[in-house]
Amino acid sequence: MAKGYLSLVLNAHLPFVRQPDFPRFLEERWLFEAISETYLPLLRLMRRLDRDRVPFRFTLVMSPTLTAMLGDELLKRRYVAHLDMQLELAGKEIARTADDPAFAPLAAMYAELYRAAYEDFTVLYHRDVLAAFDVFYKKGRIEIITTCATHSFLPLFRDSPVSIAAQVETAVVSHREFFAKQPTGFWLPQLGWYPGIESILESYGIDYTVVTTRGALLGRPAPGFGSYAPVRCPNGLSVFVRDADSTNAVWSEESGYPVDPDYRDFYRDIGFDLPIGYIGPYVEENATRIFTGFKYWSVTGRTEYKRPYDPGAGSRKAIEHAAHFVRSREARAIEASRYMERPPLMVCPYDAELFGHWWFEGPQWLEALFRAVHDSAALTFVTMPDYLEAHPDNQISIPEFSSWGDGGYADVWLDGANDWIYRHVFKLIDRMSELAERFPDESGLKERVLNQAAREVLLAMCSDWALLMRSGKSNSFARKQIEDSVTNFTRIYEMLCSNTVGTEWLTRLEKRNNVFPKINYRMFRKKR
Amino acid sequence: MNFEKLDALSDDALRTFAEKVGIDVPPELERPFVIEELLEAIKEDSEDRCAAKDAPVHVVEKIFSGSELDEFDASLSAAPFIEPRYNETMIRLLVRDTAWAFAFWDVNDDEMDAIGAESDDPGFLLRLMEESADYSIQGEHFDIPVGQTDMQWYINLPNEGTRYRVDLCCRTRGKNRILARSNVVTTPRSSPCAPKSGPSAEETMQSLFFLSGADDLDIRIREEHHPSRILSCDDGE
Repeated sequence: MAKGYLSLVLNAHLPFVRQPDFPRFLEERWLFEAISETYLPLLRLMRRLDRDRVPFRFTLVMSPTLTAMLGDELLKRRYVAHLDMQLELAGKEIARTADDPAFAPLAAMYAELYRAAYEDFTVLYHRDVLAAFDVFYKKGRIEIITTCATHSFLPLFRDSPVSIAAQVETAVVSHREFFAKQPTGFWLPQLGWYPGIESILESYGIDYTVVTTRGALLGRPAPGFGSYAPVRCPNGLSVFVRDADSTNAVWSEESGYPVDPDYRDFYRDIGFDLPIGYIGPYVEENATRIFTGFKYWSVTGRTEYKRPYDPGAGSRKAIEHAAHFVRSREARAIEASRYMERPPLMVCPYDAELFGHWWFEGPQWLEALFRAVHDSAALTFVTMPDYLEAHPDNQISIPEFSSWGDGGYADVWLDGANDWIYRHVFKLIDRMSELAERFPDESGLKERVLNQAAREVLLAMCSDWALLMRSGKSNSFARKQIEDSVTNFTRIYEMLCSNTVGTEWLTRLEKRNNVFPKINYRMFRKKR
Repeated sequence: MNFEKLDALSDDALRTFAEKVGIDVPPELERPFVIEELLEAIKEDSEDRCAAKDAPVHVVEKIFSGSELDEFDASLSAAPFIEPRYNETMIRLLVRDTAWAFAFWDVNDDEMDAIGAESDDPGFLLRLMEESADYSIQGEHFDIPVGQTDMQWYINLPNEGTRYRVDLCCRTRGKNRILARSNVVTTPRSSPCAPKSGPSAEETMQSLFFLSGADDLDIRIREEHHPSRILSCDDGE
């Protein structure tokens, strides 16, 4: 019998950044980079593990906005065009670095990566990445769960349960649409939990979720097993607990694995290093420099003088780090099991996009981790439903309000840089509820209008915009997303109040913000 | 961000950027010194962020790789294109953490005109009240004077695990009048509850709390906790 369980959770999410009005759009690159650097490499590693008969079990959170974009035909076409551009740049880079023994192999490596991405996306998966993940879901290798419709930070909306129910309902409907299954788990964006949310989750058939160590340890009553076993809310919802040590091993910006000197440096990129005359066609149209994905240096250390990247050294280090991770978890499992009558569980949740995108060798680390645990007598990978099947009886407790943001509460999403948004977002929610009550049985054009209004409300609730405003990254873009949603909603609200609907404008808006095609505005009616 | 990138900016963009990162730049300060101040501030900010305990959010930011304009985005962003208010009398309270809540409010123009007609110099205040579990007011409260044009405030809440609400009041002719009442919020606790069973359970729990990283999160099982209470600042009304 294993001495401990590991449960890996990868949260795959990007906000809705589809911009059909522009031929090329910087923020759409977030999606393209994530497909090339994270989602396709993840699928590749699963195929290799399957081929080698190495069992792997993990949970993949697929956010509704991400699934919507991965299933969108326009974005699929744009992704292929993006790969064409990357391959063209790779060709130029091979020519440019031909006489440089340090950089020539790296240029060739990137050419091969983009070629493989092109091949996988267009030939192997027929442009359908979701279907590729679904294969492993249906085979029972991975568990796919959902999260809020627009990655909303729920504790700030606890006073508006109708808006939280709308986020959950839209997510569940979206999951069923893409995967033809009811999701059993629900990822709380930013691990934002508050006491009371369990009743909403349970009402949509959700069996389990995850909270931070802080939230669980401060639960009422205190959890006897600390973070090493889930708790159960009085209504039956199981709540798993993030393992703090596993998180720090990967996430710490000071001592986490990704900052090892042998790994590829994320920040040095030819988009910033080479003359604009050369790099111009591959950055923004106004010659604004951006990351191109071609990065030739290793982390090296806290210095401006970086060493050329050595992929072999990076791969070896990923395997070493996976072994270290397993040893550390084994030791912790043995220690914790002295106090428990069952094997301790360590839940390791990470954002999926950091594997491959920020931490280039991340997918290699994951693959090495599955292989190492396969060889370990002490540890076993389980999904959360696997654990509940083996250990259905868990202590009753309700976790405390918490998140994985700085400070452990809502500080990231509510500070001087972003607090202005809540006045508007709450107004939208109130007005949407008012509209849903006034027009409960509409059909045809009016129903379309009301559904679009509901979409705009959900888009405005996205926590990513608040985070970006606080971090200063893409601040004006984030701000514009909120402003656009508020403006669109207000126009609809005024149209409905004056009983005049601009069909042409509405159709244009529906085509632009086409997320959640099956949305039902009536979910904003007060629950009776 | 390095010297060269900042040096490529116009003087105006540099000063807007400085304003955004909270540096007070005297108008006479020469350009190279402004850049130096900015680089220092960026370095400090980066060190602070590295030192923070919860890394995931910082790491998430890296998903959203942007352009070289990221760090001086402020110089590009126009004023908001939406109306800042909805001309309604309301107040709402959002809990941020164990000690702080954010209140935002508005007063309808007609109501504001009526208040102005009553008094040349009306006072506005936020009255913070503790509420018991049965929704009755505990009796103690304190007042925070705010300006007529203020529309939001961060309020320091004295107790953890306590329910609060806030009234938006105006003071004319020596009397306070409630204009709007907020929702009720509950502050989270930072101390764990004691285990239900006896000393051996407590010992086990302490060991597992320690292994779970409770010390790093500053979560300790305390013998007894005496939260401070709101000091009454009743104005005698």
